[in-house]
Amino acid sequence: MRTITLIEAIREAYQEELRRDEDVFLVGQDIRGAIFPHTKGLVEEFGLERIVDTPIAESGMYGVAFGAAQEGMRPVCDFMFGGFSYVTFSECSVTTGQYHFLHGSQQPLPLVITAGVGTGQRLANDHAMSIHGTFAHHPGIKVAMPSTPYDAKGMFKAAIRDNNPVVIPWHMGIMMLKGEVPDVDEDYVVPLGVADVKREGSDVTVLANSLQLQHALKVADKLEGELSVEVIDPRSFVPFDMETLLRSLEKTNRLVVVDEDWESGGFAATVSARVMEQGFDLLDAPVIRVTLPNMPVPGGYMEEYVAPNPERIEAAIRAVCA
Amino acid sequence: MALTREQMVALYRNLVRADQYNRMMYRRMMQGKLIGFYHPAEGAIAPGVGACTFLNQDDNLSPHHRGHGITHMLSKGIDIKYYLAEHTGKETGCCKGRSAFHFSFPEHKVYMMSGFIGYNFAPVVGWGFAAKRRKQGQVVMNCSGDGSYGQGRAHEAMLMAQNWKLPVIFFCENNGMSIFSTAAEMHPMEDISSLALGFGMPSRIVDGQDVFAIAEASLEAIARARAGEGPTFIEAKTLRFNEHDIGTPDLAGWEERSEEDHAKMREREPMKIATERVLGDGILSQDEIEVMEREVAAEVEAAEAFADASEIARPSVEELLDAVFAPQEI
Repeated sequence: MRTITLIEAIREAYQEELRRDEDVFLVGQDIRGAIFPHTKGLVEEFGLERIVDTPIAESGMYGVAFGAAQEGMRPVCDFMFGGFSYVTFSECSVTTGQYHFLHGSQQPLPLVITAGVGTGQRLANDHAMSIHGTFAHHPGIKVAMPSTPYDAKGMFKAAIRDNNPVVIPWHMGIMMLKGEVPDVDEDYVVPLGVADVKREGSDVTVLANSLQLQHALKVADKLEGELSVEVIDPRSFVPFDMETLLRSLEKTNRLVVVDEDWESGGFAATVSARVMEQGFDLLDAPVIRVTLPNMPVPGGYMEEYVAPNPERIEAAIRAVCA
Repeated sequence: MALTREQMVALYRNLVRADQYNRMMYRRMMQGKLIGFYHPAEGAIAPGVGACTFLNQDDNLSPHHRGHGITHMLSKGIDIKYYLAEHTGKETGCCKGRSAFHFSFPEHKVYMMSGFIGYNFAPVVGWGFAAKRRKQGQVVMNCSGDGSYGQGRAHEAMLMAQNWKLPVIFFCENNGMSIFSTAAEMHPMEDISSLALGFGMPSRIVDGQDVFAIAEASLEAIARARAGEGPTFIEAKTLRFNEHDIGTPDLAGWEERSEEDHAKMREREPMKIATERVLGDGILSQDEIEVMEREVAAEVEAAEAFADASEIARPSVEELLDAVFAPQEI
């Protein structure tokens, strides 16, 4: 085991998959020069044919990935910032999600969509919005987001090997987060659709991902001795590991869902409704959500108290346990 | 590029097929025997036949939605009975009866359609990219109408195809109409192909009513693309005899198209133009044409019989949910 950052873990996943499979390639804007460090140095090793920069033309850029995937290649399309994928949303959500199903389930569409997302940079809505909930709304697309370097490497490798479109953003607030990963070239994947109990507890379950997972773990440590907090990382939103969540609720009977997406129509709402439908009898208290309030994400210093944060998570835990 | 006799016969035969399949689709829509809608191709059957008759099986094709791509697909060697079965909601349909009017024949590299006009411009870049990367000589025939060139993604595709010299043929079937609006109002230049100039892409305009002229231009563009010389823009000036889709009013702007307009259009009927040519050049005799027409009529009748005899697709919700994602081993 070594200790590396989350963004370095993603870079290693690319590098190993690019070496393993000639059909894997990366397409994006300014990825050769590594606008974010997960593509640093890749063009030197893999050349211009496999590390592909396009003009600022998101539909055409995504089209490279979409069409090449239909041709059996395994592209990774990097939108730089998650919100930029919305420039070509009809292609990367609707047309992508319906492709396999609507055309008779004849052909796989093995492609990966990635981008940096999330609060923490004070960049405001268009650079800070989360995209997982919106993509999870569209059937036919797998959606996942890593929270640790170990998961990042394993999940990106799983996403590249998957036969379906996988949206796997990474959170800019934890790009420099360090963690243990196996040695280079020790091949492992973290399967999509499997949640992970990051911390065991017995009084309350907190479901949280990426930066918010780190917040939840901090709060759980702080409350040690007072409340026993179980922290689960969904890792994947589609498919979602309901079994792990329900198993946890059998023990804790209380749930806080933290989601760095808007309250309205977000993934936290989906989880809450599913728990009500499938696990109502397990609950001793109503589910509480900690989400972004329904306003465009403000930039500047407001982000700190508008976005979910440790204080809001702690308050929710106390409320659900009251 | 002069056509051989054999090529002209192949084109004429596909034109007869395009004509008869289009009439069948029109009739069935009027009879209530098609699901959804139908955008009739009368007056515009030649571009698809001319562009697609000489494509190889492993060339990529994105058919135009006019005539629901039938004229294009049959010319590429696709058996239309599976599409008709799809359009009638049958189990034997090319998309298992679950798509209404979409088509997918991956073994012929016709992967998909979408209800979003101009959707084709994104994937064609990827097909061209893959063809160039693999150096196997495939070309991409990208067919769509004048209206689709209003989409920003059309310009993105032209930009990237020309940057990378991708083997993509931008085949614009300009019938001058998008639903009611006219191309004259919606485009600042008379020729859509003038867009190609800005990208330094070679372009040419052909008579879209003359299947042989279209095929000659297409063969040249295909040869250029296969030789690695990059994309070509072809604009086929064609006509739409009927309303946009069956049941909508036949307007130009907001006013009914006039009888004079229709009479003038119908002078340029593509079947008539081609027939005069093959008879005049001694390519086919009247008897041979009649035999051909009977054979095609039998083919269309058999396609209808196949679709009509097939079971309606009614899979369970569970079966459909299982079909949303591709398995790991497909």
